[in-house]
Order: sequence, then structure tokens, then C-alpha cells
Amino acid sequence: MRGKRIVRGHGFAAATLALLAASLSVAAAHAHAARRPPPAAHAASVLNVHDEGRLRFVHASGSVIIDEGKVSGTFPGSVRVRFLYDGEPQVSAQFTIIGHGGSISARATGRLSSPTSVTPSFSGKMTITGGSGRYAHIHGDGDLYGVYNRRTYALTVQAIGKLPY
Amino acid sequence: MSRANASLLLAVTLALCCCAPVGVATAQGAKIDARLTPERLGAATTVSLGFALSPRNGHELAPLSAMQLAYPANLGLATSGLGLAYCSPPALEATGSEACPANSRMGSGSATVELPLRIETVKERVSLELFAGPSPDGYLHVLVYASGVFPVYAQVLLSGVLERGQLKIAVPQIPSFPGAPDLVMTEMHLTLGGPLTYYENEGGRLVAYHPSGVGLPSSCPAGGFPFAATFVFVNGDQASARTAVPCPGRS
Repeated sequence: MRGKRIVRGHGFAAATLALLAASLSVAAAHAHAARRPPPAAHAASVLNVHDEGRLRFVHASGSVIIDEGKVSGTFPGSVRVRFLYDGEPQVSAQFTIIGHGGSISARATGRLSSPTSVTPSFSGKMTITGGSGRYAHIHGDGDLYGVYNRRTYALTVQAIGKLPY
Repeated sequence: MSRANASLLLAVTLALCCCAPVGVATAQGAKIDARLTPERLGAATTVSLGFALSPRNGHELAPLSAMQLAYPANLGLATSGLGLAYCSPPALEATGSEACPANSRMGSGSATVELPLRIETVKERVSLELFAGPSPDGYLHVLVYASGVFPVYAQVLLSGVLERGQLKIAVPQIPSFPGAPDLVMTEMHLTLGGPLTYYENEGGRLVAYHPSGVGLPSSCPAGGFPFAATFVFVNGDQASARTAVPCPGRS
């Protein structure tokens, strides 16, 4: 029922994936650190994340759109995004990135601008909600930028963050 | 009143309220009808809403000042792919619907307005065209362009804003003849989606396509998809009505 083409540029999902990847990497580092004996006084490390992904539309259910695709960056893998746009300027997304060694899940909220354009953009915050495998203890947050294509329902996402671990 | 009688009265009242058929006129004199065509869960559909307003006992119906249409919050109106461009309200008022980009068209409809004159009440059929309007605040805005020819030649622009689960529309006064009362809307039919033609750029040339329409959720709530409307009149009165579109296969 939805559009067939993938929109140009980077999809929200891709950005989300990238952000997730970054968050995952940070979380992985954090998890790794957690396995070490607790240091007496240790300065926190920071992972600079700048990832992005381009996602294709899979299906929709009312105001919810499901996109999937690949994400590249700090934590490459495949991602599935549940994107909610119900008419409010505030949009939200839940996504899971599956990469080597585990998966990372996150949620994000952002504000959509220029909703009557074909490709409105949004920006907001992302928070890691959980992980599995090597990333079972991942956590962190960052900024999320994206583009939602109202014709094809594709998402392009870019994630940027300095994640302490 | 004893406690038992009070409980009985409450039970009867609740039973009467629960048994009131949806889509029937409320005490305020409004009724609503809703249709989803086609109605397939998880697929795109066209949303058609019809409203009728009737005067109360011994009173004349007052002109509308606003209306609020409630729809299921998870209905894919915002994700419909309708309104990929916007129409400028000044251009629309100055030149008519020809001023609006094809990709701003969101639907159509009709309305019946009445002009209560001294000798008789005259009815007029009005055509409605729905367009996306500019968004100064991040919300999707809807313009309803109403045009009538006879007996009153007039074009009126109604503006609305789409929020989560509701569409709010402001209704301006619709003047008729000098010295005569304003026009009063008694019926309205709106269709979101339908046989619209949009255009997109493919390799440097414009290609026509039909937007898919409003996405239905993959599941239907118990009792069907609820719709409701609240009407506010210039004299401060309000009228409300509700209905529900039965779930597919349960009608």
C-alpha cells in the first residue's frame, strides 16, 4: 500500500541505526569495562559516535511505519525501526540493531519540521534501552537527526553522540 | 431516595446510555456518519465523514463557529502521504482552487447551507475541496475551500489543524445578502483521500500517481473504529455526536 522507492539521501532508520551503532559501541565498551575489576579511581572514557543509515519501508499499521535496512558506522549491522507519526510534531522511534556479537535496542523522540514537505526532517534525543550478547549491559544516549520521506516512507537517520563508558 | 433506588436509577441510566445506538442524533441535534472504504486492516483506505445538524425544539439553528472531529488516534492520517505540498490561503482565496498544487489536494466533499429568509428558508448546495495548508507550528494544517453559486455566490475558506486523534476546524461567518442573516450549515460530507492524482519527479519529468490514502491499523478495537464530532455555534451552544465503523467481518 505504500511507496515503492527508496528516498534519496540517508534514511531516518539509517540514522537511527548509526546512532544505535554508536550507542552500542559505547555500551559494548562500557560492558567490557564492567567485566574488569573495579578501578580505584578511573577517568570515564568517551566514545565519539557519528553513524548513519538508510532504511526502506516494510509495512505500516495506521500511524506506525516499520522500516528496515543496514546501518554503517561504529556499530554496523541491520536495523528494524518502528516509527510513529500521529500528527503531532513530536515523532518517536523504537529500534533494534543487530550486529556482530549482539543487539542493541533504543528509543528516540524528535520534533518534525516542515510536515507538508515531501521529506520533512526531524531531530531529537535517543536513549539506549537494552542489548543482548556482548551488549547486554549497554547504555547511553545521544542526538538523532533524520529525514522521513512521506512519499516512500523511507527513513534516513544520523546519530551523533559522545557516549561515556 | 433510598440507596437501592439510587442504585437502580443509576443502573437504568447507564443501561440507557450504553444502549443508545451510535450515529443517532444526540439531544443537541447533531449526528455523524463515518465510512472507511475499503475497510481492510493494515491497508490504505478513504475516510468519509458526514454530519447533520438540526434545530432544537422551538429554536432555529445557529451558524457554526467551530467543529472538532475526533478519529482513532492510531489511524494513519499523518502518514497518509496526502498533502505533500501546501496551498497558500491568500492565493486560494484570490484565485480559487486552481491556485493550489495538485499535491496539496487531500480530499473533497459537499455541504448544505440554509438561508432563513422571512418567507421561506432557502437551501444551497456547496462544494468542498480539501487542501494542505502551510504549517507554521509543525502541525499539519488543512484548508477547506467552500464554494457555492446559487442563490448566494460565495467562496469561504475554513482552516483546520490536525492533531493526534482530532481535526479542529474554525468556521468563519458566511454572509448572505445585505440585511439578511448569515448562512447556516446543516449538512457536511468530507472525504479524505479518494481518487486523487499527485505528481512526482522521476528522472527530470513529472509522473502521475495516486496517493495510497489513510492507513488503517492492523487491528480493530472492540466496538469498531470510533469517530465523534463536537460543534460549537456562534451563540455559544454546543452539539456532539459519535459513531463507530464496525470492524471488518463483524458488520
